[in-house]
Order: sequence, then C-alpha cells, then structure tokens
Amino acid sequence: MHRTVPSLPLAPSVKVKLINAGFQVASDLIDMRPLQLCKEAGISQEEAVEVLQMLRDDAQPHQQRAATESLTALDLLHHEQTLGSIVTFCSGLDNALGGGVPVGKTTEICGAPGVGKTQLCIQLAVDVQIPVCFGGLGGKALYVDTEGSFLVQRVSDMAEAAVQHCTLLAEDTEQKQALEELTVEKILSNLFLVRCHDYVELLAEVYLLPDFLSEHPEVRLIVIDSIAFPFRHDFEDLSQRTRLLNGLAQQLIQLATQHSLAVVLTNQMTTRVSNGQSKLVPALGESWGHAATQRLILHWEGLRRLASLYKSPSQMEATIQYQITVQGFRDAPDEPRLASSSGNYSKRPRMEDLS
Amino acid sequence: MASKKLRRTGVSTDLCERLKRHQVETCQDVLSATPVELMRLAGLSYSAALELLRLVSKACSPAVRTALDLWRKKGELCFSTSLPVLDRLLQGGLPRGALTEVTGPSGCGKTQFCIMLSILATLPKSMGGLDSGVIYIDTESAFSAERLIEMAQARFPEFFSVKERLLEMASRVHLFRELTCQDVLHRLGRLEEDIIACRVGLLILDSVASVVRKEFDTSLPGNLTHRSNLLGQEAAVLKYLSQEFCIPVVLTNQITTHVGEKVHCPQRNPADVSTEEDSGFVTAALGNTWSHCVNTRLIVQYEDTERRQIIIAKSPVAPFAVLSYTVQREGIRLEGNENPESTLIHGTDPGLQPIRVRTGFIYNLSQSTPSSC
Repeated sequence: MHRTVPSLPLAPSVKVKLINAGFQVASDLIDMRPLQLCKEAGISQEEAVEVLQMLRDDAQPHQQRAATESLTALDLLHHEQTLGSIVTFCSGLDNALGGGVPVGKTTEICGAPGVGKTQLCIQLAVDVQIPVCFGGLGGKALYVDTEGSFLVQRVSDMAEAAVQHCTLLAEDTEQKQALEELTVEKILSNLFLVRCHDYVELLAEVYLLPDFLSEHPEVRLIVIDSIAFPFRHDFEDLSQRTRLLNGLAQQLIQLATQHSLAVVLTNQMTTRVSNGQSKLVPALGESWGHAATQRLILHWEGLRRLASLYKSPSQMEATIQYQITVQGFRDAPDEPRLASSSGNYSKRPRMEDLS
Repeated sequence: MASKKLRRTGVSTDLCERLKRHQVETCQDVLSATPVELMRLAGLSYSAALELLRLVSKACSPAVRTALDLWRKKGELCFSTSLPVLDRLLQGGLPRGALTEVTGPSGCGKTQFCIMLSILATLPKSMGGLDSGVIYIDTESAFSAERLIEMAQARFPEFFSVKERLLEMASRVHLFRELTCQDVLHRLGRLEEDIIACRVGLLILDSVASVVRKEFDTSLPGNLTHRSNLLGQEAAVLKYLSQEFCIPVVLTNQITTHVGEKVHCPQRNPADVSTEEDSGFVTAALGNTWSHCVNTRLIVQYEDTERRQIIIAKSPVAPFAVLSYTVQREGIRLEGNENPESTLIHGTDPGLQPIRVRTGFIYNLSQSTPSSC
C-alpha cells in the first residue's frame, strides 16, 4: 500500500489532479468514498469510481472480488433459460406455469385429499428423466415420502407411458439412440426414494442433502410428499414449528439455486371457518405461504379436478382443468381452459391458520 | 430413531456433556434446534454447529433406495383381497406399507370385510395368504369369533375341513379390545413388540372413529384441534409400523352428515336417495385432515335391498371405481361387475364423496338379510 500515486495505472490527467489534491501514496486513497474523492480531487464521479476499484483490485485476491459482484437481470435470464423446466404432460398446466415446473425454484403443491398431489409428483419424477434430445432434462429425481403414498406400481405405469410417448416422437438417429437407453427399469433406477417417518428424520435428511447431491450431481428434482404430515401433529409449541419450517424452507431454496434443481413440496389443506362459512386453505399456517416461490392449488369442483396457480413471481394467476388417467397426469378431454382466476381461490385467506 | 441418544452418534463426550446441561440429549433435541441456537447452547462456532448437525443427521436419517429396488420386490408389496376385480384395480391388492381405510354406514359390511381379511392373512402363501398372524384392535366390540369360524368354513370349505387348521387360524388372530382413545394410543405405542412376537402380517383397527367421536365433542372450542392432533399421532404410528414391517394396515371409519354445498354426482339417481331431501349429505367421518392421512380409502354403501357397493374413493394406484357386492356366509362376494365400463365412473373429493345409506323403508325390508357391523 506504499505504492506511489504516479506509479498507478491511471490516466495522466487524473494522476495530476490527485497529486495536486495532496494524495501521494495509495493508502491515502483507499479509505476515500467516491463522492468525497471526486470533490477533493476535482475529478468526475466515474473517474473516482475507477480509481477506487483499481485500488481494491490490487489489494484483494481475485476470487473474493467475484463473490461480491451482483448479477444483472440479463445474466439471470440467460441462466434461467439454460436451466429449463420439467414438463408435466398436461399442456394446460405447463402453459400456466410458463413451460413446466421451473428448475432452480421451489414449488408447493397444495390440495384436497385424493385430488392428485402425489400423482403430479410421481409424474414429475418420471418426466425429469426425459432425455435432452426430446426437450427434457435427462436428470434424476429424489423422492422423500413422508405419507407412504408412493407406490412403485404407479411409477411403472407412468414410466411406461412416458417411454411410449417418446417412442412416438422419435425421429432422428440421436433420439432413437436415446430411446434405447430409456426403459422403465432405467427410469425406476434413477428415482431415489427416502421414507421419513417423522419430522426429525425429514430434517436430518435435508441436512444431508448437500452431500447426497454432490454424490449424485444429475439430480434435477427433489420431491417432498408431503411437508405437512410430519408437521401437523406432535407440536405443542407452534412457534417452534414455524421456526423449523422457516429453516427448512431456507435450506431448500438454497439447494434449489446452488445445485440447479427443482424442489417440489406438497401440502395438505385444512378447513378454516370464517364468517360462518367453512373453506379449505393450505395447512401449516399463513407464514408458511411465503416459503415456496410458486404455489399451485389442486382442488375439486364437483367432479372436475382443477389446478389453480395461486402464487407465482412470473406467471398470471390461472385455473386449468386436468385429469388423472392410467398414463398419469393429463389434460382434461374437453374445455381445457377456464377463465383465469375464476376459481374459489381468488380471495386469499388472511387468517392465521393454527391447525 | 429420533430418540437416539447423542452419546451413540459419534458426538464427542465433552460436547454431549455441554449439551446435556441444556436438556439436549437426543437427536430430536439437536435437530429441533437451529444452528444459531446450538452455537449458543454449546459454545460452538457456526461451522462446528453445522458439523454437529451433519453428524447427528447421519445417525438418524433413513436410507436412500431406488424405485427399482422396490420394483424388484413388488410381489411382496400387496395383500390380495381374494376379490379378483378389486385386486386388479388396486394392482395386486391392498398396499403393504400403507394405510387402507374402509368407511361406510353401519351394517354395510365393514367389519365383515375386516374379518374376511383376517382369515386371508392366516392362509398359507400358496393360497394367496400371508401365512402370518393378525392383530385386530376392536373398539366397538363388534368382532365375532363365531362369525370368523363360519366365514372361514364357508369360504374355504376344503381347506378348513380339517379342524386343526381352523383352530390354528383362530389362534393366530389376536384380538385387543380398547374402548378409550388413551387405550388405543397406548396399544399402538406397544404394538411393535406384539407384531414381532405374534409374527403379524396384518393390522386391523376397527374402528378408528368410534372412540374418537365418543370422547371429543367437536362443538366445543379447541376440541377439534386436539382431535386432529390425536388422529395425526395415531396415523403416524400406524404408518411407521406398516412401513417398517411391510404389512397392510386396515382401518374402519364411520360416516357423518356433511352440511354445505352439494356435490354434483351423476351416478346417483336423485329419486331414490333420501338424503337429497335435506341440505346435507352423508360423507366419511373425521374430517379433511384425516382424509389426508389415509393412503387408500374404500367406501362401502347401499345400492339396493340386496346389493351393496364398494367404491375406491382414494388410491395412489387405482382409478375411482364402483363395484357391487353382497355379504354372504363366506364374506364379501363381488357380483355383477362384468362390464368394466360401468365400474369406472368419475368421482369427487374422497372427503366429500356422498355415501348412500339405507332409508328407513328399505331397512325394514332387509331385516332378514344377515348383517352385522
């Protein structure tokens, strides 16, 4: 830091002004704020910033500097485009989500019992494995099952349908080659499964996920089905529950960004009575609503199954109809689109949910 | 695993002592705390706290398998109900390692279904059974040993013509009568031992609803939360047992009148249904949270004086389906489901699926038909 000002790699005019203002060695300059420097030395603001940045570059190792750099929206746009998203095989839902379930973000699926939350999760765990040449991600999936609803027979149904689907699409040699690799057995072997029986096991599993993901870097999807069940009983102290859930949400978001994968959580619905009317709202309380980047609600309307996008930073609120077939999660046969945000969920419940 | 003591997880003795002073002794205690709390309690640096969490997590996290591992054992993942059409829809039978609920009006055949399953579980593997014991937790005192014997003889006359086999079958069904919520919960807590000792392959809780509904008046404030909490605990224990031992768990549930918006249901003919007259309709009891807890929900309901129907209302593998059956001496017999088209009807929310009950008029007519539930 005893480098003299004349020796610095700066424009001569700037150097002259700095010396005239009484700055002789680099250490005189290092603590200056840009505006202060620009006033005292009579240089422009841009020049002052240039001087200070040059000094800092000299003083600090390269890596440290990189960490402090911000990301522009343009960089992020390029990055997000390379990440892609996981298609659901239900074009209505894909459109509503902007191409599918986004990688690098957390998505929460809330829904009534038996409406198809687990079905959608299994579908995603299969679809994430569609080879790159078919427009998929060619990744693997980790499925954390807390409810015991993960039945392997169902996975094989959907895997078979997905293979069938790709077979129909295959045209060029690259796709045909990829198809030889894509078998039901292969899909099953790329789907990792963990059963957690209580919240302690779930938390333990999440703490160990970074290790698991470095061993299996191809994993592009983590499903937790469901986050609600282990957290809906056994808690005397609700503030402790909130604290644990917030910590969990934070860890999952971190995993999603650092390892470029999609995190999908399912949540149950609970009955809330307000003004004498009972309605279903997502469980785990209102503050949990902040946890996931995107929120999707699956609900019944008579005999129809509907999916409503309830929270998303990038997509319009929309409601679409879907059905569950032997093959998996699919578009409803008729009237695939409803007027957007016409569902029962346009009014957001504001009450604190303590169940 | 959550109650595993820190001493056995590889945490240093010194650190264990420090944490013990703050009542942090088990894996659960450590994992329930945030890294910052641990830093404060044990005087650790942030990275040391994370290391502690990682060490403890390793000690109690479940193993990771692949779906293929499960698929290779798929023959052992089902328990055949001996009703071919139902088995086919459920892709092999009742799932082992998951909860199956049978719900429906009284006298419709829930207990009959459970007794039938008990017999099946004791059968040798060559006959589609599990060759194992059965634990039957009876909260309604509805189980009848006489009926068990009668049904076994009528269903498998040849096999049970040997008296020893009949006695052996009966001795393998272990009955527990628990008449209060506390008793049931207590029993579930100790079941692990019994399951091992009796080599149990099927667990039945008949019914989960009766004790809970008797003891909790949900019109009182706070009771509903307490009730869901209790049911959640029961479900968690049952799920744990069923997965660890890979056994099917069958629960029965009652029905309740749902007041609120009507669910449109085309399979019902409005003319013959009494419940259409008032504003409510009948659905499965115990509410929405409980409906989340069961993995498979079968609904039994009345079709006409003779026939009843079994509905697959919620299942991770099966589509919504309606099958007709009658209750005979040999138990449940499926009838008139030849046309596969007619069985696959669209259903609605399993928590709100309307259930057809017997009207007073039909009830008088059918006094002569055998039924107990």
